[in-house]
Amino acid sequence: MRRILPLLLLTLPPAVAGELSFNRDIRPILSDKCFACHGMDPKKREAKLRLDLPEAATAKNEEGKAAIVPGKPDESLMWQRIMTKDEDDVMPPPESHKELNAAEKETLRKWIEQGAQYQKHWAFETPGKPAVPEGAGGDLDRFLTVRLKQDGLTLSPEADRETLIRRVSLALTGLPPKVEEVDAFIADKADGAYERMVDRFLNSKLYGEEMARHWLDVARYADTHGLHLDNERQTWAYRDWVVGAFKRNLPFDQFTIEQLAGDLIPNATQDQLVATGFNRCNVTTSEGGSIDAEYVFRYAVERASTTAQTWLGLTAGCAVCHDHKYDPISAKEFYSLYAFFHSNADPAMDGNALLTAPVMKVKPDGFDAKIKEFDEKTAMVQKKMTAKMSAVTYTDPAEQNPKPPVTKLEQVWFDDAFPEGAQAASVGHAVTFVDTPVASGKKSLKRGGAQMAQDYYQAGAQPLEVPQDGKFFVHVYLDPADPPEEVMIQFHSDQWKHRALWGDDVIEFGAKNTTERFKAGMLPPPGKWTKLEVDAAKMGMAKGTKVVGYAFTVHGGTAFFDKMGVESRTDPAGDPALSFAAWRTAQKGKDTPGAPGDVNGWLKEGPEKARQPDELKKIRDYYLQHVCAATKPQFAAELSELGDVKKKRQDYDANFPSTFVWKDLPQPRESFVMTRGQYDKPAEKVEPGTLAVLPPLKKAAARASRLDLAQWLVAPENPLTARVTVNRFWQQVFGTGLVTTSHDFGTQGTLPSHPELLDWLSLWFQENKWDVKKLMRVMLTSAAFRQQSAAPADNWQRDPANKWLSRGPRFRLDAEQLRDQSLYVSGLINLEMGGKGVRVYQPANIWEPVGFAGSNTRNYAPDKGAALYRRSLYVFYKRTAPAPFMVNFDAPNREQSCTRRERNNTPLQALQLMNDVQHYEAARAFGERLMKAAATPEDRIILAFRTVLSRKPLPEEGAAVRELYRQQLAKYQAAPAEAKKAINFGESKPDPALNEPELAAWALVCNLILNMDEAVVRN
Amino acid sequence: MNPLFEQQILQTRRQFFGQTGLRMGGVALSYLLGQSMSRAATSQVHPAMPGLPHFPGKAKAVIYLHMNGGPSQLDMWDYKPKLVEQFDKDLPKSFLGERITTMTSGQGKFPVAPSKFKFAQHGQCGRWVSELQPHVAKIVDDIALIKTVHTNAINHDPACTFVMTGSEVPGKPSMGSWISYGLGAETSDLPSFVALMPRFPEGSNGQALFSRMWGPGFLPGKHSGVVLRAGVDPVLYLENPPGVDSAGRRAMLDTLGKLNQAGFQKFGDPDIQTRIAQYEMAYRLQTSVPELTDMSKESQATLDLYGPEVKKPGSFAGSALLARRLVERGVRFVQIMHRGWDSHGDLPNQLGAQCRDTDQGVAALVMDLKQRGMLNDVLVVWGGEFGRTVYSQGTLTKDNYGRDHHPKNFCMWMAGGGIKGGITLGETDEYSYNPVADPVHINEINATILHCLGIHHDRFTFKFQGLDQKLTGVEPMKVVKQILA
Repeated sequence: MRRILPLLLLTLPPAVAGELSFNRDIRPILSDKCFACHGMDPKKREAKLRLDLPEAATAKNEEGKAAIVPGKPDESLMWQRIMTKDEDDVMPPPESHKELNAAEKETLRKWIEQGAQYQKHWAFETPGKPAVPEGAGGDLDRFLTVRLKQDGLTLSPEADRETLIRRVSLALTGLPPKVEEVDAFIADKADGAYERMVDRFLNSKLYGEEMARHWLDVARYADTHGLHLDNERQTWAYRDWVVGAFKRNLPFDQFTIEQLAGDLIPNATQDQLVATGFNRCNVTTSEGGSIDAEYVFRYAVERASTTAQTWLGLTAGCAVCHDHKYDPISAKEFYSLYAFFHSNADPAMDGNALLTAPVMKVKPDGFDAKIKEFDEKTAMVQKKMTAKMSAVTYTDPAEQNPKPPVTKLEQVWFDDAFPEGAQAASVGHAVTFVDTPVASGKKSLKRGGAQMAQDYYQAGAQPLEVPQDGKFFVHVYLDPADPPEEVMIQFHSDQWKHRALWGDDVIEFGAKNTTERFKAGMLPPPGKWTKLEVDAAKMGMAKGTKVVGYAFTVHGGTAFFDKMGVESRTDPAGDPALSFAAWRTAQKGKDTPGAPGDVNGWLKEGPEKARQPDELKKIRDYYLQHVCAATKPQFAAELSELGDVKKKRQDYDANFPSTFVWKDLPQPRESFVMTRGQYDKPAEKVEPGTLAVLPPLKKAAARASRLDLAQWLVAPENPLTARVTVNRFWQQVFGTGLVTTSHDFGTQGTLPSHPELLDWLSLWFQENKWDVKKLMRVMLTSAAFRQQSAAPADNWQRDPANKWLSRGPRFRLDAEQLRDQSLYVSGLINLEMGGKGVRVYQPANIWEPVGFAGSNTRNYAPDKGAALYRRSLYVFYKRTAPAPFMVNFDAPNREQSCTRRERNNTPLQALQLMNDVQHYEAARAFGERLMKAAATPEDRIILAFRTVLSRKPLPEEGAAVRELYRQQLAKYQAAPAEAKKAINFGESKPDPALNEPELAAWALVCNLILNMDEAVVRN
Repeated sequence: MNPLFEQQILQTRRQFFGQTGLRMGGVALSYLLGQSMSRAATSQVHPAMPGLPHFPGKAKAVIYLHMNGGPSQLDMWDYKPKLVEQFDKDLPKSFLGERITTMTSGQGKFPVAPSKFKFAQHGQCGRWVSELQPHVAKIVDDIALIKTVHTNAINHDPACTFVMTGSEVPGKPSMGSWISYGLGAETSDLPSFVALMPRFPEGSNGQALFSRMWGPGFLPGKHSGVVLRAGVDPVLYLENPPGVDSAGRRAMLDTLGKLNQAGFQKFGDPDIQTRIAQYEMAYRLQTSVPELTDMSKESQATLDLYGPEVKKPGSFAGSALLARRLVERGVRFVQIMHRGWDSHGDLPNQLGAQCRDTDQGVAALVMDLKQRGMLNDVLVVWGGEFGRTVYSQGTLTKDNYGRDHHPKNFCMWMAGGGIKGGITLGETDEYSYNPVADPVHINEINATILHCLGIHHDRFTFKFQGLDQKLTGVEPMKVVKQILA
């Protein structure tokens, strides 16, 4: 520090010579060096002196002396103590390590001399609408120009159109513009071409996604709980709500109210309830041994702090343990804010569950009607079955005298449907039932595939029991147009280990010549139904084996399967499939899947328990319709229909997830100031309330509600929310906020670079009904935004951080933008919107080495196919081990709210952009696009530059790239095996029609272009 | 940074400033070029913060051995021979205190489980060490054992976060990130902070790790610990794509350098120069990391010291040797996180396996450093996030028992740079349940680590959210002077 002191003196603001401003010149010094001991916190206050209030600072002590005597530094104790040579007396004390430098001392002296005028901290003052300065240009630009002039700077000239459209496109959609969009913009010579171009991107369907990305950092949205097991959490409907809210341009005041208090809006819509997921996004735990009270406390602290930081730009969390040292937030005020969030109905322990209550099913329009439709259909079929009952005659063989002899019994396990409740799945195409050919009932199961393909289930249904001396049968029809090499049936007992096959024995399941792979015969002739039979014993299935699943399997062709089951000889009186009494005995103490709730309960209680006649009838009807082998076939058509409706209902229902929402306990918790921030040390009781330094809260009832709080945040008299919000959008557009510390507008934050502009814009935003698109438009159409970012050295020296906006904003793209850009230019991208988080390419061993054994996010298995190429916004966010492509480029881990990302520049980033399969595969796919769209290397290079950078290469750039291409092509031509490897990196496959060495060389060239500084930066 | 390359950048900068007619005094010019020049002078990619270290520290690097899950102090270090008489008797209520985890708070009784392991005295210092640590027993004269470390947290997640970031609540930078931020590193070819996560015994209760344990928190992201992984691609994305060899990469980078130089001429943005340098650094990492992880040049004697597991990628012993190679090459902070120490049940078997997995590697690391004369410069720290209870969780027999989490006192040790070997600090009561002398808070351990590196923990701050944030938190913390050399 000492080394650069001379420079500081040189650059002291001109104000030192003139009038000092308390907020600009004095408060930062006092806040930094004095307030810790002479500020707001009474517990840390030394010598009973506070310097943050003028009355206190100028009050006389017992000796009749005052710390500050306005106009008279030499009589002011403060000044005396600063200047003394006495080590015991000097202020700040040496052990505080808060030294005042010469410039700071001089500033303080001048200020006292000038009368020691105080101001309220700027951010707590209501913004008075400043007049737009005179001069040329738009309103924003005039404010900027005035400030630039002070330093002898000016706005830079407007950037060329190629640069502009890429800048706008990235700012509003997170993607570069298409070449056609660039051409259209360049060709539009009419007035207002730029504004029209901005509007096109504002209205793009991709706009909501780019805007949401920034907000989701603030909202600390993620797909896991965050603590300990860090299990999956399903709350992505909230993420999609944010995207939609920006897309439909929900005014920011409403955006605020719905997220903080959507549940309290009268007649709240489902959408408004989804929005309340905002304050359910905090990290939660379910670690064994945790203490509930501690976590209820912590969650409320987190939610209150996040809310204060997001809307008020205040680091209220500091007041958890004690009165805020720097800002006027007492612990009591903090806990009043906390009281708003202290009564959520969520449990202290999240149960490591996907859904931790309160949750809500997100239903589309017409959902309830549709479900009702399914239920009515079911009731109708059941009615039909009841009607048929009168025609059914049944006598329990156990009640016959003499008992009937052992007889042949056919039990059908499959006809027109899998058993009730079975969760059917497939290898190959989805489960397909067809109307022809059919051997029995109404349908048969069609199964085909080039290799092994099958339909199966292994859970969900009531276990099937293998009878004594069983013989399995299945009806099979081989497709004459596509006969398979083999058909197989398989059964799952404790595992898949019972198989019978007919044909070539090429399906590689189980050991040959064992019951796990029994060859029962040759294939039947194609084009006709054949009943295939096999003894259960040959498949290792003894009497009593419980079968929890079965499979129909083919290899290399198509077969139709119908009516499958088992024949046996049985003693009817003791067989649950024939005797009602035997069945009831067998079901005692067990669940009977598929049975209605009451029937299931009665069965569980066993046959001994006395039943009402109507109850007994219900049980018996169920038995005869669903179980009894003698009577069930009479209901085959209805049972099949029931299964069908049930599956459709399930499938429909599964499309619509539940999501986390906010809901208060019926009786709110009492809240207290917690001594030193300890969960078990309640002190003074508090009611929900806000900060005294800000305008008063309007309460709708005796106890303030979250709705009151939300409305207070966006009330016109609130001096902070609009400023903080406008500043965050400014940061998004220009790279840095007008207040650099966009999370902290308190006294420890930085002062605004353009205070008048910030005030003007925040009022303008409110006057324009918090219209975010309009705000984006006014910033993006400013001359300041449209400036060249290329500037002469002189400019970079005088405005190194571009604080005064003397040139266009230029900064590195964010993590998501970098990945999305590569995918987009390559054509690999999948622009599907919304839904469950996807798992894209990720190096091995990111989750596994850190994950707890019992966590359901321990093992990472990437998705396949199109999901790999979804936009980064939709990538599954695991908080304890976020995707490296994100964190490598400074994305937060979403464990807490993040208002501003760093922009680091590291070698690991270079490695990722060069070598990550994601990027190299994209480079190859990009190469394919170039080869197909343009004929010569020259044209391809031009197209590559235009696609990524929106501009043509300069001649020397083109030459350098061509030289690399030439060199690499020669190399790959000499080593075609290497070329093959290079173009086959990644899941998508290159077009086989393209010359491999050429494509490999283009892949490296595209990798080069996507790694150019200009490509990874918004210029 | 490669001096030649730095030279190029400087030349370009000078040209650049020269061409545009910069007319400023010497002071201002050196200010503008200052950072770059001083970096060139010391050839440093990871420079220290100005003013740091605060004073000459004894240690230049740290190897932190984090035994994740909470090793049992009672079965490894804190010898309580009289507990045998207390077998299966309830821990007196007067000792129990107020806070126990809900995993055992429901137990009707808290039966004392004496360690089943034999202890013996070792070294000149005569320290008691259990039979679980035959190798570490040989280095006791080099280590300072603290028996009374205590922490605020009682569960893994908050306790791990606390031990590594000085705070229970996520969001703060890890210790390694703080030290990287403050002191940078001596190497230009490797990161300043490296994290290793070796395999751990199957059957042990492996708790979760959290990236915040080596994360940068609110510090710049470049101070994040770089995870060095076992096997291929030890550094993420280190390997070129298949079909792209080093020459191809070099050719691409040469062209990239030209294009980016042209970009710099056009835009004038100094960040472009940094980017060019980082791509070159990336290329160098592609060579330096394989060289680092290649153990073939280690002598047989060294390999033998670390034991038969050393050659298995991802083994603890291999990671320990890698740690030495890392600090040898100028890396500032190496953190090895070994999991599986959470022995709620079947402790004798689980803990036995944990110690077998680590004992030789830990001892070898200290001996190896010592033999090479590096132990004076390297601080080695060993410990978990908390200790374990004297009472048994679940069934207690003479040979088998479990132990719950115990935050009030547990054992950690330090050795090497700045530390006095052969001493023991702190004493616990007869149940190893409360400290009776010299309690040491986990943030005092952290303050001591900083001290050994020449950093005054109270003055080492970063402004965030309105506060001068510190690794050691808001409460006043003292350096543990008693163990300093």
